[in-house]
Amino acid sequence: MHSLTHTRACRTAATAAVLLLGVGLVPPIASAAGIGGRATGAEAVTVGTWGATASVTSMVFTTNTYQTSKITNTGSITLSAQSYSVTVSNPASGSPTFKVYQCTVAWVGNLCSGGTGTQVGTTLSKNSTTTITSTTALAAAAAVYLQVEPTSVTASTTLTLSTKVTSPAQLRAAVKTNQ
Amino acid sequence: MSKYHHTATKERSYGKLAVAGLLTTSIGLLATAGVYAGLSATATGAEQVTSGSLNLTLTPDVGVGFTNFTGKMAPGDTDNVYVNMNNTGTLASAAGMTLAVAGAPANALTNGAVAGEGLTVTATQCSVAWTLATGACSGTATTVLATTQVSALATPTALSGIPALIAATGQVAHVQVSLGLVATETSTNGVAPGSTVQGLSTTLTYTFTEQQRTGVATNL
Repeated sequence: MHSLTHTRACRTAATAAVLLLGVGLVPPIASAAGIGGRATGAEAVTVGTWGATASVTSMVFTTNTYQTSKITNTGSITLSAQSYSVTVSNPASGSPTFKVYQCTVAWVGNLCSGGTGTQVGTTLSKNSTTTITSTTALAAAAAVYLQVEPTSVTASTTLTLSTKVTSPAQLRAAVKTNQ
Repeated sequence: MSKYHHTATKERSYGKLAVAGLLTTSIGLLATAGVYAGLSATATGAEQVTSGSLNLTLTPDVGVGFTNFTGKMAPGDTDNVYVNMNNTGTLASAAGMTLAVAGAPANALTNGAVAGEGLTVTATQCSVAWTLATGACSGTATTVLATTQVSALATPTALSGIPALIAATGQVAHVQVSLGLVATETSTNGVAPGSTVQGLSTTLTYTFTEQQRTGVATNL
């Protein structure tokens, strides 16, 4: 115990000596950086979604019977337009053509509220892929109804429908908010 | 036991030697100092120093300022907030201010993951308070930050024009901060592309920083 005390005394003395010498060796604290002022603010943002789905994406025609598909805005932003990429297969025989009509309510007896509805795009021929566009505004979760009307079908012909919504052109008008 | 005693004795000897050496050195130094003290005269003088401060505050100009929320933003939308930046310290600031914007979480809105898409920031200064209802400046408007992708503001970016207004203490800059969204995306069959900004959320933190004016050498 006695020895340990002396050892501690030695260490203390040595440390003191090192500190005395060290004081003169430490350089002054650098202060060239200067001072700065800083202010912060925050804001939260969430981006909406856009897109539409078709209840029926593939239609097989063996006769000239009309077929329908319901188009729903599945995004959170109102659409100003929607496009459809329509592909018509090449049947074994004949030269069928197809027209796509749109109605804002469900088709009843091939009629849109008693009328013919609004044609979307041009007449579609066999063995082709065409993009047609509807400019009907569609709120989030709202729907429009398409009816495909074939002509001159003599052999099984498949029509596939793919919805496409492109931003910003097919979204509601841009909104400017001041808050 | 004998070995321990021998070692202890040795350590005591070293300790005594160290203490003796330090004492001798200290006495020598004190004696020397005493001799010089006897030969010197002392004169004193005093000067008072007060350090300045540099404070930058950010408060609403009109409207709610920051801490707002923008929901369901669409490409092309603009969300404007209006803030006052004020140098409330006692020191003028240097001619230079920077803005950094960080998003939490970082995602395609803020990190440039989708090329050419994401949030953008534009800052415009008005010589008077902004008009909230119209977002118009009835005085002179000056662009201090052209439209810039948030992903490019991860590192502090120099603003232009603001220093002229808030360089001096007590000056206020009325700034409109416009948040925009750029995105050209096609969703097919209701499905967004693999890389998208749709449906994402983030909280942006804007950090404005000013530096003190250049140090002044004064000869009195």
